Amino acid sequence: MGGEGGRAAGRTARTVAAGVLAAALVAAAAAIVVIAARGAPAPTTLQERVRAVAIGLRCPVCQDLSVADSPAPLAQAMRAKIASELQAGTSPGAIRRQFVRAYGSWILMAPPRSGLSLVVWILPIVLALAGCALAVIAIRRWTRDRPETRPAGTAAAQDLRARPDAPDELSASDRRLLERALAASGASEDPE
Amino acid sequence: MSEPSSEITARHPTRLGGRSPAAVWIPVGVVVVIVALLAALFAFGLGRNPTVVQPVDLGKMAPAFRLARLDRTGTVSLGSMRGQVVVLNFWASWCADCVVENKALQAVFDRYRDQGVQFVGVSFEDQSGTARGFAKQMGIRWSLVSDPGTATAIDYGVTGVPETFVISPDGHIVAKTIGPVTYPELSEQIANAMPGGA
Repeated sequence: MGGEGGRAAGRTARTVAAGVLAAALVAAAAAIVVIAARGAPAPTTLQERVRAVAIGLRCPVCQDLSVADSPAPLAQAMRAKIASELQAGTSPGAIRRQFVRAYGSWILMAPPRSGLSLVVWILPIVLALAGCALAVIAIRRWTRDRPETRPAGTAAAQDLRARPDAPDELSASDRRLLERALAASGASEDPE
Repeated sequence: MSEPSSEITARHPTRLGGRSPAAVWIPVGVVVVIVALLAALFAFGLGRNPTVVQPVDLGKMAPAFRLARLDRTGTVSLGSMRGQVVVLNFWASWCADCVVENKALQAVFDRYRDQGVQFVGVSFEDQSGTARGFAKQMGIRWSLVSDPGTATAIDYGVTGVPETFVISPDGHIVAKTIGPVTYPELSEQIANAMPGGA
């Protein structure tokens, strides 16, 4: 039957479209993760190297400003200290550890990815995945229920009668049920 | 359009009625638990003062320093005071709380100066001349040093002045006061740091 073939082709096309969309979403998410993980390009000059360290440290006398962005004298002194440590050959990680030793992990603009602070890194990802899973489950449930709740005589059913080879908005069994119901009710307005 | 909606509403009671009580109450329970956890988290977070920084260096080795004296020539180093209790006070001439705490600091100095306790005042973000004038005006008699580049203050995790550290004879930070010290508190901190103290 041509109608069955058309419906199968339509179903395949929609499956492919859904697959392409899902692949595109996954690719976009992966790109964001890769870009976020890669971060800014590696600093080269001393000024850039100082900024790279200072941007991750909180200015102790400011409201939500990093050492890199604060004009406070203490932040300036911290930048000078970072510069002298870098010039002395201390690694950025070791400099950060010095500041953490003096001020505690509070001095870091981003919480450390260890211990209890790990929760604030993992929780959003877990919640986002849970949300996606919930959305998938809900959408599947809604799309599965929809044909059952749609009675004969709706716009879709009339559309179906007007175009027997239309893409299958209803499942094959529902379609048969619908046609039988239409036949039983007389269907006197049939154009043929 | 009314026909489909009436059909949908007619079907729903059957669907809900067909569910087991667990299927209904488990999601509700999960939501209640999540909301309760979030509420507890907010209550905990909002109840805290975000400007309070907990001292993290208690019990750790005091960072070493060698600083030029402000009050006369020469230097002061932490290493040279090993074996003695050291009171390290960060101060500035522009600091109002430093004026407030001066009386208590002077009294503690008078009480412990002959018991081998060393007092060192570290000038914080100040001009040498202004700092010297302030020290003279306040009648400060202990060693005063300058801290070029605020480097020592940063090593000690100082966020402002006054801040006062008590260092034990073996070089460990045993007490830290953010803000003006009081006579009883600083006296107790020194007594605890002295050999045979608590």
